[in-house]
Amino acid sequence: MKTLAARTVYMVVVLVLSSIAVFYAIRLSGGDATAARLPASATYEQREAFKDQLGLNDPIYEQYFNYIGRVFSGDLGTSLTNNAQISDLLLTHGRNSLILGAAAFVLVFAIGIPLGMLASLRRNSWWDGGIMTFSVAGMAVPNFWLALLAVWLFASVLGWFPSAGCCSPRQLALPAVVLAMEGIALTVRMTRSAMLENLNQDFVRTLRAGGLSESSVVGRHVFRNALVPIVSLAGLRIGQIVGYALVVETIFGWPGLGQVLVNAVLRRDYPVAQFFSLVLVTIVLLGNWLADVGYTVVNPRLRKA
Amino acid sequence: MTASAARSVETASAPAPDGSPLLSVRGLRTTVTTGGETFDVVRDLSLDIYPNEIMCLVGESGCGKSITALSIMRLLPTPPVRVREGEILFKGRDLLRLKNRRMRRLRSDSISMIFQDPLTSLDPVFTVGDVIAEVIRSHRKVKGSEARRMAGEVLTKVGLPDPITRLDSYPHELSGGMRQRVMIAMALVLDPDILIADEPTTALDVTVQAQILDQLINEQRRRNMSMLLITHDLAVVAAVADRVAVMYAGEIVEEAPVDELFENPRHPYTQGLLRALPQVSIKRERLVPIPGLVPPPQLMPPGCRFAPRCSYAVDRCWTEHPELADDPEGRTFRCFNPQPFTA
Repeated sequence: MKTLAARTVYMVVVLVLSSIAVFYAIRLSGGDATAARLPASATYEQREAFKDQLGLNDPIYEQYFNYIGRVFSGDLGTSLTNNAQISDLLLTHGRNSLILGAAAFVLVFAIGIPLGMLASLRRNSWWDGGIMTFSVAGMAVPNFWLALLAVWLFASVLGWFPSAGCCSPRQLALPAVVLAMEGIALTVRMTRSAMLENLNQDFVRTLRAGGLSESSVVGRHVFRNALVPIVSLAGLRIGQIVGYALVVETIFGWPGLGQVLVNAVLRRDYPVAQFFSLVLVTIVLLGNWLADVGYTVVNPRLRKA
Repeated sequence: MTASAARSVETASAPAPDGSPLLSVRGLRTTVTTGGETFDVVRDLSLDIYPNEIMCLVGESGCGKSITALSIMRLLPTPPVRVREGEILFKGRDLLRLKNRRMRRLRSDSISMIFQDPLTSLDPVFTVGDVIAEVIRSHRKVKGSEARRMAGEVLTKVGLPDPITRLDSYPHELSGGMRQRVMIAMALVLDPDILIADEPTTALDVTVQAQILDQLINEQRRRNMSMLLITHDLAVVAAVADRVAVMYAGEIVEEAPVDELFENPRHPYTQGLLRALPQVSIKRERLVPIPGLVPPPQLMPPGCRFAPRCSYAVDRCWTEHPELADDPEGRTFRCFNPQPFTA
């Protein structure tokens, strides 16, 4: 478990560094935080007074330490644009994002693993060819384009699903599939190659010599071995989903964290933007951390007794 | 271990096989297909294994020993390797004609096999006990707890230290010798009639080799089991074999009871193998290697396959393929021009 501790420390270090990076990046990226709250006719003096009031004219490191202090005392602050409590935003929009992200995450494996297994067991057949073509397409097509295409086809032309909105299952379908698509494509490839690699291992011959049925040899033993890299991939899929959620939520009008973050950045709503950036960073880091833990759990060779 | 040292330990006995063979390979031809061309890797191979005997199959790497064993087990990587001709009779039934399901039931229940490299030959993500229990339960209707008890018992019998704790070990937690004991346990747990051991000690340390070999021989005697031992180590052959078949380039070139083979080898290849063997008891000036290499399948000579490396080859050897035949003294070999053996 020494590695686990090391991974955890590493995660915290990265989190601290990225909080600093986020804090500086958002303040150094230009734009005017006062534009959203003060009328366009406001004078320079009025704007400076407003900034002073918010502490925006203090040195950035001072702002940083003040901010961290407040966060640790439980005060996440309010939006500069509409005074909404950030903790409220986190609850409502976080829930929506969680629904979308969890749905996409489940789809990645529920679709990717069976397709990958089918391709490996029907190697060089039409099944294999079709599935691998689908997989290449899934990785090549950028998901903003896939989102637009899906809206056009399934919402406008066929009318099967609504083009936007939240949060019924029918409204969830399109964004979840689009969000999951690249993960599905990668998981298909990963599963297929891991299965094929393990099917050629010596231990497969030993198990067959032991008189085990083919379904046990392949479905139990080869599959468990093939799962090792797939599970290590799982945490990384979380990071991918978080990244794409910004685009997908915006296109489908899904009121989640991604949408809040995009809007906050556009309006220079510092408290909201920096907090939700950090939330997303934390989720990605947790995903990577889970990948390490999961890899250890499914791979006995890395488990220390 | 050397041939002579090992032989002095073993009481030399070469029982004349009586009764009918347990396993009889008849005219086996196995081919490999690469780049659209098909080559014989095993050709016209016949082999009888009688109850309770240890038959050794000897030859250089790549001569088709393992392919022969995998052909019997029907575990060839098909494609590209497949059996084309012949029959493999086990208790009178042709294994090559059995349905896959019937063949699967025979494996490890009647015919078991252990492999060379015990590290890569065990499933890395399952515990030793789980896999042995699974082998048991895929052939016998027993409860999980009973299968586990049986697994512990067989691990004890094959001399694995601390067997009950080891049930929950993963292969990577065991040493090479321990892994090979696990593989032996897995192969013997259902009390098979025949054990095929493909170079079972080659990947192990020398000291461990002797232990594992001892264990195998003890189990063979205790269970009245037949064994087909595949090896390139003549010292091992001398120590344990009842009968020996020597393979060269996919064919059996000589077959004899172990004493006759070592005292008076008939085929020039067998003679060459014995001359190339280092011996402690005889102080040689130097070892005598067999010149040349085994011809690759696509360049196999039309006559005797050993002719290009044979110092006794006559004209006929280059044009005509010798058949495996008995000479007037009852010795079986594949040679037109056998010579008396001088060490």
